[in-house]
Amino acid sequence: MHVDMDAFFASIEQRDHPEFQGKPVIVGSPPDQRGVVCAASYEARAFKVHSAMPSRTAGKLCPQGIFVRPRMHVYRAESAKIMQVLQLFSACIEQVSVDEAYLDVSPSFQDYDDQDTALEAAEAMAREIKARIKQEVQLTATVGLGSNKFLAKLGSGFQKPDGLTLIRERDKIAFLRPLPVGAIHGVGPVTAKELNERGFMTVGDLQETTIPLNDILGSWSATLKQRALGTDDRPVDPTDERKSISSENTFLNDTDDRPTLRTALKELALDVAQTLEKEGVGALTIQVKVRYSDFTTLTRQLRVDDPLTQTDEIYRLACHLLARHQLVKSPLRLIGIGVSTLVPPVRTQLRLPL
Amino acid sequence: MKFSISKEAFLTALQQVQHVVSTRTTLPILSNVLIKAGNGQLQFVTTDLDVGISGTVAAEVEEAGATTLPARKLVSIIRELPADEVEVTVDERNVAHIRSGPSFFKVMGLAADEFPPLPTFSEAREFKLEQRVLKDCLRKTSYAISTDETRYVLNGILCSFKENMLTMVATDGRRLAMVEQELEFPQSNEVDIIIPTKAVNEVQRLLEDEGEVTLKVGSGQIAFDLGDFFLASKLIEGNYPNYRQVIPGEARERIALDREPLLRTLGRTSLLLSDKSNSVKLHLTKDNLEVVANAPDVGEARESVAINYKGAEMTIAFNPEFFMAPLRNLVSDEVYLHLIDEISPGVLRSGTNFLYVLMPMRVNS
Repeated sequence: MHVDMDAFFASIEQRDHPEFQGKPVIVGSPPDQRGVVCAASYEARAFKVHSAMPSRTAGKLCPQGIFVRPRMHVYRAESAKIMQVLQLFSACIEQVSVDEAYLDVSPSFQDYDDQDTALEAAEAMAREIKARIKQEVQLTATVGLGSNKFLAKLGSGFQKPDGLTLIRERDKIAFLRPLPVGAIHGVGPVTAKELNERGFMTVGDLQETTIPLNDILGSWSATLKQRALGTDDRPVDPTDERKSISSENTFLNDTDDRPTLRTALKELALDVAQTLEKEGVGALTIQVKVRYSDFTTLTRQLRVDDPLTQTDEIYRLACHLLARHQLVKSPLRLIGIGVSTLVPPVRTQLRLPL
Repeated sequence: MKFSISKEAFLTALQQVQHVVSTRTTLPILSNVLIKAGNGQLQFVTTDLDVGISGTVAAEVEEAGATTLPARKLVSIIRELPADEVEVTVDERNVAHIRSGPSFFKVMGLAADEFPPLPTFSEAREFKLEQRVLKDCLRKTSYAISTDETRYVLNGILCSFKENMLTMVATDGRRLAMVEQELEFPQSNEVDIIIPTKAVNEVQRLLEDEGEVTLKVGSGQIAFDLGDFFLASKLIEGNYPNYRQVIPGEARERIALDREPLLRTLGRTSLLLSDKSNSVKLHLTKDNLEVVANAPDVGEARESVAINYKGAEMTIAFNPEFFMAPLRNLVSDEVYLHLIDEISPGVLRSGTNFLYVLMPMRVNS
């Protein structure tokens, strides 16, 4: 089951400011300043305003929009209340972010003969969860129900706001078939474009193909094929251990000046290394992220053999990734470094001091 | 163009050049082999723009000419031909007609003049050595080349030509293999170069136990001239790290070991290792070496080797793969292991000219 709060930040602002109700609320920087939209109410979304859009653009699209500065501490407190509600229904909850979570509710429905009757029985629970959330925090949530995380998430994205979608096992292939390839979580605009260029427009095209997709997608192609067929074996992971650490920097003015970028990268590397040290972990995967002036965002990553802990090593690999994939081909608005696959920071194989 | 040749000679020559042909290339002609016929011989050329190989083989040439044909496809066709002789004619549209016994193939080619030429080496430093010697030096070092592309200077073998000595070094930061070979050349020829992995692999395939090879080192490039075959490659640009500083100057313990039995002992014990636990421990006591491998969920293996050892009791752990690699590629019966302590590099020596520095792993018990 996937529970996703509807326009979370904006809905809280509308709840706390009754005068905002029914009006386009945009949480983020004011439209005359550099910065982005964190969240937009459904009224604002009607003007094509969406999160991560520059506030300036949002101001143009929706001049009557009510711009509100984010109050993160309030949102976090509301999030905690919602998670407490969810805990009444399942012991296995994976909180993905401040406003969404996966619940493994299968233990409560073990006695059913087949998955579809179990899912249908869980629908009542989903309704109750929505009602309890509304009662506790006066906010609406959309719930997706499916036999795995992928289908549940797809369901919660299907009918927003205040929706509830059940994807039965026997319907999943047909449900997925007409969706665009970009509906699969993990297929971003770039991958979607590449798939489209090769004639894969819908998930159905992916279901039917026998062509190996490795050339376009690399190792991810097997996962994609599975998703297209509605299978996903990732368990709901209730541990709240950190899975990644990242740091990013938006420039005051877009830049491709190498010394400026190097200085920024060094600071980010230092920041990430310090967090790694604080958490007492090392990382086996490093990723760089760049965003260009037109908001196209790219990430590239690589895996290493020995856990990364040191600033200079993180910096060196980040520079390598940028150069290897020629990411600085036009001025950057944002640059970021992230690390994941966190492991104990022990290097059992000693290295030559070369 | 028209020629006939024995299937075996055709196939052998093609196979020697086909490995550089890349399967994924943006330039279609790089998937092809250039074939030139003339003067009673065929010349085959392949390149991926980093490494290029050309080879010649005798053939009955009826009509001289040149074309390019898809290399992998051609190799698989020739390999499967039913008769011992092959006859090839290529028309002006670069369509090849291949006949052998009852079978006939028509293969579409591309024009020869589109094929990128191999670099020339007019003003190059030249070094002559026996193929056997170069082959041996490459074999003793190439397995230690780094595959970590983020340190590209290590993705090849350093060849240092200094004071009538050729020193070859390869390292991946965890172990380092070095071989020294006396070689006469004028002082003006002294140079340090890094030969990339692909060229190393290809030239190893071409080298024989007989005959000479001429190395031609030009600006940013190298050629290996073996007579019948010629290989040209770009060099890796950049500074190789100062490898001398990681070679321990002295050793506390010197242990003589029988190479092959040790290799087998390590191979047997490492059967018990897993992804999570990939070290073997060497436990040294008076006149005994015990090799121990254990993995928590798998089990344990132990084997004792009688040695001559009078030093302090010590346990040092190594990645068995890194320990076995040089043992596999040496020929001497005896090797010497020099140790200092549990966390200092171990040094394996064979003969007077081979040295291998191996960093230990942390022992966790």
